Amino acid sequence: MLQYLANGLVVGSIIALAAIGLSLVYAILNLINFSHGDFLTFGAYMALLFNLAWSLHPWQTLPLVFILGAALGLALEVLVWRRMRRLRAGVVSRIVASIGLALALRNLLVFAFGAEPQAYRAPVQMAVPLGSLPVKVTPDQIWIFFVSLLAVLGFHLLLRHTGIGRSMRALADNVELAWVSGVPVDKVILWVWILGGGFAAIAGAMYAMTRPIHPELGWFLLLPMFAAIIVGGTGNPYGAILGGFLIGIVQEVSVLFIPSEYKIAVGFLAMIIALLVFPRGLLGREVLR
Amino acid sequence: MIGYFIGFLTNVAIFAIFVLGLNLQFGFTGLLNFGHVAFLALGAYTMALLVTELGWSLAAASLAALLVTGLASLLIALPALRLRDEYLAMVTIGFSEIVRMILNNESWTGGPRGMGGYGDPFAALSLTPDQLRLAILILSLAVLVLTYLFLEYAVRSPWGRVLKAIREDEEAARSLGKDTRRYKLQSLVIGAVIAGVAGILLAFFFRYINPRMFLPLQTFAAWTMMVVGGTGRNAGVILGTVLYFAVYSLTQMWTGTGIAGLSGAQVGALRVAAIGLLLVLMMMFRPQGLLGRKEELTLER
Repeated sequence: MLQYLANGLVVGSIIALAAIGLSLVYAILNLINFSHGDFLTFGAYMALLFNLAWSLHPWQTLPLVFILGAALGLALEVLVWRRMRRLRAGVVSRIVASIGLALALRNLLVFAFGAEPQAYRAPVQMAVPLGSLPVKVTPDQIWIFFVSLLAVLGFHLLLRHTGIGRSMRALADNVELAWVSGVPVDKVILWVWILGGGFAAIAGAMYAMTRPIHPELGWFLLLPMFAAIIVGGTGNPYGAILGGFLIGIVQEVSVLFIPSEYKIAVGFLAMIIALLVFPRGLLGREVLR
Repeated sequence: MIGYFIGFLTNVAIFAIFVLGLNLQFGFTGLLNFGHVAFLALGAYTMALLVTELGWSLAAASLAALLVTGLASLLIALPALRLRDEYLAMVTIGFSEIVRMILNNESWTGGPRGMGGYGDPFAALSLTPDQLRLAILILSLAVLVLTYLFLEYAVRSPWGRVLKAIREDEEAARSLGKDTRRYKLQSLVIGAVIAGVAGILLAFFFRYINPRMFLPLQTFAAWTMMVVGGTGRNAGVILGTVLYFAVYSLTQMWTGTGIAGLSGAQVGALRVAAIGLLLVLMMMFRPQGLLGRKEELTLER
């Protein structure tokens, strides 16, 4: 039981970190970004690229991966999303466009790296007992947990103590109100993509330390991320973080009761139950129509 | 060559039925169904399972398959339609991935290998393989025409006008005393059943079904066909389906085995990437599609 809880905390920390961007983009740009999962895949392949080309250890690639993820987010904002806002594209047009982007991004990665599963070139790690607990984890898993936690903490400090962070919270809470109060919307949105893209990319690179890298790596995490932002409550980035940990734990612990192939289904069921029982989510705003 | 053409037309006819179902849900009612392929799969697999496992007749199994498909859509629509529109998108795509997960992992569905041996509706006629392919083409075209006529009638009826009213402004429709949730449920279920019909035809056509035929890509391809042809126009989505398959088949014929030093797999990836970019560009510059009417569109909400 404790073992599954530990696995859940590791996966949950990845989902939490990655879901921050999905949640912010949904709250501020009113966009369900179906291409968000492919940011994770992108991050994993970029880490693989540096790992193979320059013999960097996967951990050493993370700063670069963050920058590339942020750059990808910025590029798509400037090329696609900002233009679509200027053209007054509706919610649906933007969702369909995000699906198009997801297909394009994923298949360009297939084009460049092939569809076969790959792995980092790094020493294989043995799982070691964690103190006196009946739990075995690899050093990488411990690092994933703490690096994710550190990134989330940094994000928290940014939200609380910087002007951009305050504007971000105001926008996530109520876009119209923040806009009429003079919040620099376009500038904040750029920061949303920098942080959301960067976090998603390093989350993907770290996730790939625990399993093979393949073109659908991030796509399979998209459903748990949706579940996380709904369970945690949309419109609140802290909800996404809390929801991420919860979904990760629920998924891993469910392995005790049902075949592990259905992990993702469990997160999805949690989402449906959340929608039925408390559609606001744990920390969210009103969503009933 | 004739054989290839028959296969092409059958594919187009079956997919056009599939996309018409989506067009009722989204084009006319504004429902964001991103898990449409689940209903295709449910139609095909339920029919196949009832025939092979329980020995039902093809007709009875097909009717039961449509019932199952409709009930499944009702089951996911009931919770999702209480919430904001976008939630339906997440719930349906999740549902379709779970259906595929079950098909892929259970032994009674044949797992990744899939299943066959359920026969076809023309077994009594003892046709040659070529005649059989032609018969299935004619059946698919007939079902397509019926579906088209039914939908054209439906969307022009008072019922269809309420759907459009919901699409344009649900609050206004509700303030006129329409039970909008009921209409949305009906639209979603009918669209899903139409997808189930397409699934059954698909199973007849390929004579074998497996989970790889029901990837999320099928849903996105259906969206592409609808969006290219013209959302909310039944004739438009049929045009979109024809165009999609024409472009797809031609590029496959020319480049399927590789071109200019690229392997076939790489060209395949580029082709899907191009579909993705096409979707993005359409959404940016012509969201109403080729035949769509800009003034009659949900996309601008």
